[in-house]
Amino acid sequence: MNCAEFQEVLPEVFEGDRTAEQESHLQSCSVCSSLVAELDLIANEARQLQEVAEPNPRVWASIEIALRQEGIIHEPQMRPTLLPAVPRRWSMNWLAPVAAAAVIAAGVVVYQRGSAPPSSTPAGPAVAQVVPNKLPITPLSVNDEDRQLLDALASRSPAAQKQYASNLQNVNAYIRDAEESAQADPNDEEAQQIVMDAYEQRAAVYEMALDRSMP
Amino acid sequence: MTDARQLQGDKLSEAQAIERAKLGDAEAFQFLYGLHRRRVYSLCLRMTANTAEAEDLTQEAFLQLFRKIATFRGESAFSTWLHRMAVNVVLMQLRKKSLPVVPLDETQENEEEAPKKELGAQDPMLSGSIDRLRLQRAVDALPPGYRRIFVLHDVEGYEHNEIAAMVGCSIGNSKSQLHKARMKLRESLKTSRAEKAAKPY
Repeated sequence: MNCAEFQEVLPEVFEGDRTAEQESHLQSCSVCSSLVAELDLIANEARQLQEVAEPNPRVWASIEIALRQEGIIHEPQMRPTLLPAVPRRWSMNWLAPVAAAAVIAAGVVVYQRGSAPPSSTPAGPAVAQVVPNKLPITPLSVNDEDRQLLDALASRSPAAQKQYASNLQNVNAYIRDAEESAQADPNDEEAQQIVMDAYEQRAAVYEMALDRSMP
Repeated sequence: MTDARQLQGDKLSEAQAIERAKLGDAEAFQFLYGLHRRRVYSLCLRMTANTAEAEDLTQEAFLQLFRKIATFRGESAFSTWLHRMAVNVVLMQLRKKSLPVVPLDETQENEEEAPKKELGAQDPMLSGSIDRLRLQRAVDALPPGYRRIFVLHDVEGYEHNEIAAMVGCSIGNSKSQLHKARMKLRESLKTSRAEKAAKPY
């Protein structure tokens, strides 16, 4: 058996029994044995991807709204909705300026909270530069800034204030989790992106709360 | 997902949450969402390689689940039920987008997409582990047909006979597509490794 013949039957070889001829070729051919070993490695490492990503908090908000609208969630009193109802596909247009502002704000917030001296920042990807190695962990509860927003909201829409407070707590918790991941591995670009996304979420909640607090 | 954590702290089991969700309890729905959101979203993201689509599909999968939760009798694991539903939602969506999932028997590969055969040449080996981010990017870059089978088999752990039934292809084709997907991934991982090594810093 030569390499071409062996590689022709590779899909079957992976799935189960190998013939003596295939086994013999595998033992004697370094090209085919390293190929099999690497494909095995890829198959084994793929499980890493099973549970890697965190959905945007708005996914749950949209699900909850839909469940309430369909009467699947039963509650004696309707709570005010946190986010605008967008049944299937979120319209992202309104998010564009918010996202841009949020990214800038996130950078500023993260930079201000960082304790590392700026001169020690190594050259590297832009996102990596934004997140210093030592970030303080954001507290779970709402902070003074949040409180001001909630007070403003309370005067205009008291019913919504409690819901927004709860949601800001959730977003802050999400930010804290994201920052912990980024701290655990400062070179993990994905974790740093999640931190940015988390701040984006917070900015979006602010935007909506401000809309409701305006006359 | 603070509320879900609190419920977990109160020792609410998944079974209890299911029963409460059947009665329309909002916290129970949120608890169940919290338990499974990452797995479902990751599945959708890997299958579509598109964040916005993955979010929509996650939303749709959970909505379908919650609409039908009253019919859940516990014959199978709740997670199995949910993940099968999520896979069906994704596959249905991909069919709507007219991306040909079937027939794989007649899949025409262009030369750029098909993985290269490797006869008699030995190039630099992948080391004993693969960086998650590089693997993720390589999977996202796979042609959609390969990606679907790879995610279902190697990431989600479905067997070829299950994939064949879900996707509507033969078992042989599922095996063949999986092999081509792995070969393609091997190529891109080696390329990205070589590019990384060539960087001056």
